Amino acid sequence: MPSMNMVLIFSFLLFSLGVVGVLIRRNALIILMCAELMLNAANINLIAFARHSGTVAGQAFALLVMGLAAAEVAIGLAIVVALYRRKNTITVDEIHLLKG
Amino acid sequence: MESLLLKIGQNLFLIFAVMALAGAAVMVFARNAVHSVIGFLFAMLSVAGCYLSLGAEFMGVAQLLIYAGGIVVLFLFVVMLVELSKAREARRFQGQTPFALLLVGAGLVAFVGIFWQTIFGASATEPLTLSQNLVSHGETLGNAQMVSRGLFAEYLLPFEILSVILLVALVGAVVLAKAERV
Repeated sequence: MPSMNMVLIFSFLLFSLGVVGVLIRRNALIILMCAELMLNAANINLIAFARHSGTVAGQAFALLVMGLAAAEVAIGLAIVVALYRRKNTITVDEIHLLKG
Repeated sequence: MESLLLKIGQNLFLIFAVMALAGAAVMVFARNAVHSVIGFLFAMLSVAGCYLSLGAEFMGVAQLLIYAGGIVVLFLFVVMLVELSKAREARRFQGQTPFALLLVGAGLVAFVGIFWQTIFGASATEPLTLSQNLVSHGETLGNAQMVSRGLFAEYLLPFEILSVILLVALVGAVVLAKAERV
């Protein structure tokens, strides 16, 4: 069994990698993937805390988060495909429809 | 040989964690989008291994099925659909990269400080531990049984709400990705 601190540090590192990806990448697909990575880091924490408390709540909620992530991916990819149809690009810098 | 195997078995979580971080790093820093997806797949598989080594067998298998089986294929599909021209990432707003890295670095330092305080500092508390088994109403069951009991008995309402959200997402995805109205 790993120690709790190890799990927490690992999930923190995974989450910060996701944040770095969202901030520095300009490809909408990769930004979506980085969001998935952050959700996964949160899931690891939930499961570790379920293990700590000895109850099943954390694992049940991790499963709910997983379902939510699947819904998010479906919507996000549909938006990306629609954008590509309309603007012929998925680079987020060139998508500024709200700028008049 | 056996001692080596024993050591590997004891540090399984650490091994999977390092693999997951490597995959995530490949995902974030790869130039080619397909390489990013491969890194994402590697990270998701390793995270499933982490779940397994934390004793959450059902979650590990669900992770394999949903992420490695479904979401990665979906991403790969859209990358193939969209990235035909291998469009290079435009560098218009890349000026924000140093600021982003600086911000994340500051957050990293703050969190390492907090970890250091709680682990080694004067206010160091008893480290949290992981218990061997989950218990429900005083009895110990298999992991899948426990999760299903939690999901369908204690947290039924969130589960049902999630099913409605999935339905809405399904309809929304179809409407969004539909071709221009004919």
